[in-house]
Amino acid sequence: MFRTTLTGLLAHRVRLLLTCLAIVLGVGFIAGTFVLTDTMNAGFVQSFAADADKVDVVVTPKGGAGPDENLPESVLAAIRAVPGVKDAQPMVSGDVPLIGRDGKVVGDYPTAGVSIPPSRIKITSGRAPSAADEAVLDEDTAETQGFAPGATIAVLDQAGKRQEFRLVGVFDVGLDQELAYRGAVAFTPGTARRLTGAEGFTEIDVLSSGPSPESLRTAVAAAVGDAKVVTGRERAEELARRNHMDTSSFRLGLLLFGAVALLVAALVIYNTFNILVAQRMREMALLRCIGATKRQVFGSIVLESAVVGLLSSALGLLTGLGLGAAAVAVLRAVGADIPTGTVSLSPLTIVVGMCTGTIVTMAAALLPARQATRVPPLAALRTQVEEHTFRTGVVRVVVAALFVLAGVGLTAAGVSQGPSQEALLTVMAGGVLVFFAVLILGPAIVRPLSGLAGWVPARLFGVPGRLAVDNARRNPKRAATTTVALTVGVTLMTFMAVLSSTMRTTVQDQLDQQFPADYILSSQTGTIPRPIADTLRGSRELATVTEFREEKAKVNGRDYKVGTVTQSAIGTAIKPEASSGTMDGFGAGDVAVADNVARDLGVTVGDTVTVASGGKSTPLEVVAVLKSDVSMLPSFTMAEQSFERHFGRVGDAQVLVNAADGVDPGRARKIVDDATAAYPAVKVSSTTEIRGQFDEALDSILMVVTGLLALAIVISLLGIANTLSLSVHERTRESALLRALGLTRPQLRGMLSVEALVLGLVGAIVGVVLGIAYGWAATATFTEDVSFQLPIVQILVFIAASGLAAVLAAVLPARRAARASVVGALAAS
Amino acid sequence: MTTTIQVRTAVVARGLTKVYGEGDAAVHALRGIDVDFAAEAFTAIMGPSGSGKSTLMHCLAGLDTVTDGRVSIGGVEITGLNDKQLTLLRRERVGFIFQAFNLLPTLTAEQNIRLPLEIAGRQADQELFDRVIETVGLRDRLKHKPSELSGGQQQRVAVARALISKPEVIFADEPTGNLDSRSGAEVLAFLRRSVRELGQTIVMVTHDPVAASYADRVVFLRDGLLVREVERPTPQTVLDTLMALEA
Repeated sequence: MFRTTLTGLLAHRVRLLLTCLAIVLGVGFIAGTFVLTDTMNAGFVQSFAADADKVDVVVTPKGGAGPDENLPESVLAAIRAVPGVKDAQPMVSGDVPLIGRDGKVVGDYPTAGVSIPPSRIKITSGRAPSAADEAVLDEDTAETQGFAPGATIAVLDQAGKRQEFRLVGVFDVGLDQELAYRGAVAFTPGTARRLTGAEGFTEIDVLSSGPSPESLRTAVAAAVGDAKVVTGRERAEELARRNHMDTSSFRLGLLLFGAVALLVAALVIYNTFNILVAQRMREMALLRCIGATKRQVFGSIVLESAVVGLLSSALGLLTGLGLGAAAVAVLRAVGADIPTGTVSLSPLTIVVGMCTGTIVTMAAALLPARQATRVPPLAALRTQVEEHTFRTGVVRVVVAALFVLAGVGLTAAGVSQGPSQEALLTVMAGGVLVFFAVLILGPAIVRPLSGLAGWVPARLFGVPGRLAVDNARRNPKRAATTTVALTVGVTLMTFMAVLSSTMRTTVQDQLDQQFPADYILSSQTGTIPRPIADTLRGSRELATVTEFREEKAKVNGRDYKVGTVTQSAIGTAIKPEASSGTMDGFGAGDVAVADNVARDLGVTVGDTVTVASGGKSTPLEVVAVLKSDVSMLPSFTMAEQSFERHFGRVGDAQVLVNAADGVDPGRARKIVDDATAAYPAVKVSSTTEIRGQFDEALDSILMVVTGLLALAIVISLLGIANTLSLSVHERTRESALLRALGLTRPQLRGMLSVEALVLGLVGAIVGVVLGIAYGWAATATFTEDVSFQLPIVQILVFIAASGLAAVLAAVLPARRAARASVVGALAAS
Repeated sequence: MTTTIQVRTAVVARGLTKVYGEGDAAVHALRGIDVDFAAEAFTAIMGPSGSGKSTLMHCLAGLDTVTDGRVSIGGVEITGLNDKQLTLLRRERVGFIFQAFNLLPTLTAEQNIRLPLEIAGRQADQELFDRVIETVGLRDRLKHKPSELSGGQQQRVAVARALISKPEVIFADEPTGNLDSRSGAEVLAFLRRSVRELGQTIVMVTHDPVAASYADRVVFLRDGLLVREVERPTPQTVLDTLMALEA
């Protein structure tokens, strides 16, 4: 039996290859994920280990980050006094906004101002700062801002005063993600402390004069008291672990896509084996005739799938190695900070890859193998392969109905639950159930759907078109499995497209509501000087200028932010939504409270709260409770006058500017820029820019996800190609008959293309319907006010692309069918 | 139907040679055959197994290429035509009836009958259609799928399909090979009637002397050569000729 199976496999190498390819791609993706993440991890471990050896003991604050948590000054002296300490180097860190070439501060967040111990800093060009007027800049910022050693750079100190330094070098922030994100300027410790005003240290690195790191750690710990003291190696391991966690979730995310690809591959394999069994009925029957048991027939199919599975998994691992290496190369090329490491297949990758590939293949072949055991020995004597007449059975309908009921029920429950994480999960669970229902009902719905999808082609392409549509509907089970594989990918892609377009519109609507402004002014340090708003208000080209101010205060004894907004803007430029009460006629002595804070304090409209700060206290009456999720007002909003009376003349936290109607945006922008030119810390951003950034972020996420899902689509196309070529094989004589009756070669090829087109369109239509439905259901669980937006163009592109890709998948089978000689096919009776 | 004094020929073959393979492995299926098939006549091709009768038919019908010699159908030389031209020629001038698997399983009887016309993009002559349907007696079976028809009915559908496009010639390859004797006799009777009443030209390959006796003329092949002819055959004369050839 074993020999029969193997010779059978070898006799059909091409068929084997197509079947394998589906698994090769799936396993390749999974193995590639492991290779990539392994390489990243190995790189992290390497570079942390390199860092670890430079420092013997590391002292950090117990709590965490934040200026209040810093190690006090006294700790440094205490450490230096510990015997065995050669040197203790403090690290200072704070905000030092860098002024860029445009005269404005760089980035969305203040640049970090630090001093890094000489033993730790990685200078990549120039040298470390040694004098008070010297500084070094991180590589990334230096490059984007175009500063090179020798240049003069300017920063704002803690008081917002401009200070100039000589750039003496460029350094690498390494794996410190915060510094990498914000950008960093490093100074000598004294300068850093003077500029940032930071008290204490964020870290102290200790070098040993002889004792082992472990014994030094114990001695230092005893000396510093309340701080976290670890050896350099422990610290490196901790950091590596944290990064490992990052790569782990990255890996998990990628593996999800790998799982989708494997699911599709399983469908393809299942279908292939089903067709093979159907075609080899007589072969099986002959085996039964000459004495093979059912078990042996079953075994031979399972064995065949095992060979296919093992072979393709092995090829998949090699593919994965290539994919992983390519991904590492691409990521490095686009500038991602991946430490160099060797790309290799770890034993874990090999085990996971081989197991998943083989198990998926064998599992997919189980049902077809069982089908093979049902072939009666007598079938060997029948001349003609029977046509599959499919009738929708009662069991199928009942089971599918149960799945639909449960799925739709769960989905409805999730949607009506209101926005929450649980609701989303409920909806997704419902989606999975509905998908199973579609899988079960597939053979029943594929016939009418093919008729629908084939309506136009059947009329457009004449006889070959009509024959093609008939052929597509001929074997509903086969057609259903073939198309469902495509449906998986299209569903997920449509889902993502609906999600992102809805998010885009929703966020834009919210931006319109919340930021009814053309420009937003903000400051990286402190507040926006009041004269700016005054100047802007004087311009005729600007319609409204709305100022927001904030101060910390105690309200009813608890710490909150209390603020105010330009009085005239209430109800015009900003329209706060109140859940109770109203801000109409808002005046001195009134206060509007955010709903979440009102709940915390247990206050409602009509109650009185007391704002206290700086020895002053002001009683205020709550006139409105505001919806906090759509409000941009602070927790407590006072009238402008009473705020000023209590807190004095405070700078603006934020200024919103609207251009007057008909004013050229360029002109308005210039006015706003001019007004803020003298204040480097004040940044101007336009809402169009913010929207653009948001769109860009959304687009790139969508692109990455679509790219990853494309793999599932490719695999399902392999399935279409496979099904078609097997069908072509099955219908050799039919094709020959048609050719004898006068169908030309191009017409025969066209017929198969149309059949593929219909299959592709059916798969896409089902996918699009499911994707839209679940895209809508999912967005309904995100936020209260969703502006559902159907990405019609994108969806049409998906449908068209699916059809086209299916036609491409049919090219080879169609050519084979058209090439066959008429006589040869007729003679094979 | 016009009455012609001189007998028109529908298919002519001259020096027809077909060799499969090369060198030592070469098989000479046809070794230079000269034969004419009269129009509006029913001719049978007979011969023992391996005599080349099927190959002759395939070459005459333009389904297979010839190694040497010429074939013309209705005055058009088909040797030397490319695949596309051959396909169009088959579409316009040739009808086929095969031993089995004549019909597309997805189409109804009527759709199968009309298929050649539709492929050619022509309209069926309704009068002819009705006559053909009457002749083969399929009126009440038109909406049935092939799987719902008996073997004899399926072959009659195939005959109707071959007749509907009024081809220059119909080639029938063992049309009764899969049928019981009663159905076979029916189909053969239809073929003969279509020659008599519709003026159709039919060339049939068979190994059954009874089937051959329905023809106006029988040509005998042996080892790729045309060796004998019998006009107005009876089963007995055919059988006798065959016996003589086998001897």
